[in-house]
Amino acid sequence: MSNCETTREILGAWLDGELVEAQAEACRLHVEACAACREERYKLEHLHATMQTVLNSSGSKVQFDPLWEGVQQRIAQQSKWYDELGDWIRGTFTGPRLAWAVPAVIVIVLAGLSIDSFLPNAKFGVQPDNLATVESIDAYGRNVALLHEGETNTTVIWLYQPQESENDSSTEPSESKPSF
Amino acid sequence: MVIFGLLRNRDDAMEVAQESFFRAYRKITSFHGQSSFYTWLYRIAVNISIDHQRRQKRSPLEFRESMDEVFEQQNEVAKDPFSDVHDRELREKMLSAIDDLTPEHKAVIVLRTLEGMSYKDIGEILGCSEGTVMSRLHYARKKLQNKLGAFL
Repeated sequence: MSNCETTREILGAWLDGELVEAQAEACRLHVEACAACREERYKLEHLHATMQTVLNSSGSKVQFDPLWEGVQQRIAQQSKWYDELGDWIRGTFTGPRLAWAVPAVIVIVLAGLSIDSFLPNAKFGVQPDNLATVESIDAYGRNVALLHEGETNTTVIWLYQPQESENDSSTEPSESKPSF
Repeated sequence: MVIFGLLRNRDDAMEVAQESFFRAYRKITSFHGQSSFYTWLYRIAVNISIDHQRRQKRSPLEFRESMDEVFEQQNEVAKDPFSDVHDRELREKMLSAIDDLTPEHKAVIVLRTLEGMSYKDIGEILGCSEGTVMSRLHYARKKLQNKLGAFL
C-alpha cells in the first residue's frame, strides 16, 4: 500500500483529532509534502462543513413543549407488563448480533430429538419403556422369568437352572443359560 | 437534533424522541454510571432511531417535502437566486446521499458532524470499538464524496 493510500485512510481521523501523536505527525508531514493528499484534505474539510450546515439547519428549531407533553402522556399511560415483555423479546432476539439465536435454538432442539435415529445406542433421547417389569417365579420346581414389555404388551418367558448355592443366588437371571 | 438528523422527518423524530425519553424514564434503574448519562441517553435514542429506520423506509419525496418545510420556516433560503438554486440543489444532493447510507454509517456521520462527539463516545453509544467508528466514518465520507462529486 502506498503512503498516499495509507494517509487517505486516516486523513479523516487526523482532521477529527483522533490520531495518536506519532501517527498525527506522520500524517501532517505527508499532507504538507503531497499535493494530491492536500487536495483530498480540502475536499474532506469542505464536505464536513457542508454537512454541518445542512444538518444543523435541519434540526436547530426543535420545539420542546410538544416533546415533553408527549413524554408526560406516555408516562401517564404507563405500558402494561406485556408491552415490557414485548420490548424485552424485541431487544433480545431482533438485534443483528442475536439474529442467529432463534434458528440455532430450533436446530439444537431438533438435533436433540432426532439423535436417537442416528445413534441408536446413545441414551440421549426418550427411551422406550420396554423393560417395564421382570419378575422371577418358581413354577413346579423350575425357575421361570417373565419379561413384560410395556408398549408392545409382549411377554417373554424363559426357564433357567435353579441356583446351586446361596452365593450364586445373587446372579442375574439373564446371565444364566436357558434350560431349553 | 441527532434524531432529526438520522430520520429527517419531523413527526418521526418527535415520536422517537418521546419514546427515547420515556424508555430512559422506565429504565433509569438500569443506569449504573458505567458511562456518562448523556452517552446512555444517546444510546437509547440512536438505537430506537436505527430500529425505526429499518422498520419504516419513507419515500425520498416525503423527505424532501419535510426538509423544504424546515428550511422555509427558518428563512434560510438565500436571497441571491443563483446561490439559492445551488444551495437547494446541494442540500437535496447531500440529504439524498446521507439517506443512502446504512443506518450505522448515518449514525456515525450525524454523531460526529452534528454533535462533534469523540470516537470513544460514538463507540460507546453504538456498542462498537473506536477502530470500527474510524472505519465507518472513513467509508461513509468516501461514499458521500463519490455521490456528491462535482457539487463539492
